[in-house]
Amino acid sequence: MTEGEIRELCNRFFDAYQDRRVDELAEIYSQDCVVWHNVFGGREMSGKDNLAALPASYDGQRRRTYNDRIINTFDGGFVIQYTLHGVQHSGHKGALWICIVGACSNGKITRIDEYMDSGKFPVWRGARSIEENAS
Amino acid sequence: MTDTEMRALCHCFFDAIERGDYAAVEQIYAPQFRMWVNLTGTESTAEENLSVLRDGAKLHRRRTYDDRIVNTFANGFIVQYSVNVVTHSGARTSLAACVVAQCHNGQITRIDEYLDSGKFRSRAKAQASEERIRT
Repeated sequence: MTEGEIRELCNRFFDAYQDRRVDELAEIYSQDCVVWHNVFGGREMSGKDNLAALPASYDGQRRRTYNDRIINTFDGGFVIQYTLHGVQHSGHKGALWICIVGACSNGKITRIDEYMDSGKFPVWRGARSIEENAS
Repeated sequence: MTDTEMRALCHCFFDAIERGDYAAVEQIYAPQFRMWVNLTGTESTAEENLSVLRDGAKLHRRRTYDDRIVNTFANGFIVQYSVNVVTHSGARTSLAACVVAQCHNGQITRIDEYLDSGKFRSRAKAQASEERIRT
């Protein structure tokens, strides 16, 4: 894939994620796609399992936008640094700084490694008390 | 800089930190160097970062930067790695991290580091537990 194709695929992925178009994401993930996070126990999941978990994940917020995207491409993939802005159902607005390294082949994403800070999750959710922050 | 030069610079950087060679790290940082970490969202200078590195090294018996997956782009590199730490008590912990670095003229001009502070809390809990057992 060319640099242009990889950049386009990256933006297509984030636009679909933002707009909650799970069918489009299913087109973007390769059959053998693997998704890994540095949080949530650091386990790998299949692209299919990741897609299956999305509707419940989307229910957590009123809106999510993937902004300030800085994309660099390398041979066979991309790295994107971005700010995830979320509006909770309470109206609380939160942000997370995230970095994703994506491996690409034949117009599809074959692997995603996502890095974020779980310490920011309470503020992201709008936790109001020390007890809620500790949870 | 070529792909090979950036890969070599990446390894020189992590090898120097591993062996506590902060003079070498200082040589690798460009005068205008800035470091950003997703934990704080703030930038620090080379001098400030070197101070953090020196202080941080005292906290552990050994710290190694393993499983390095390096990819390069036009002006820099991405490295995904595991920081493996042996504490003074002998406990071992591991942290998955990702660094996106900008390079110029054989030096690093900027580092954006992504890690999970949740792992620090796990480590602190484990250390507290060890101390309770010893006392």
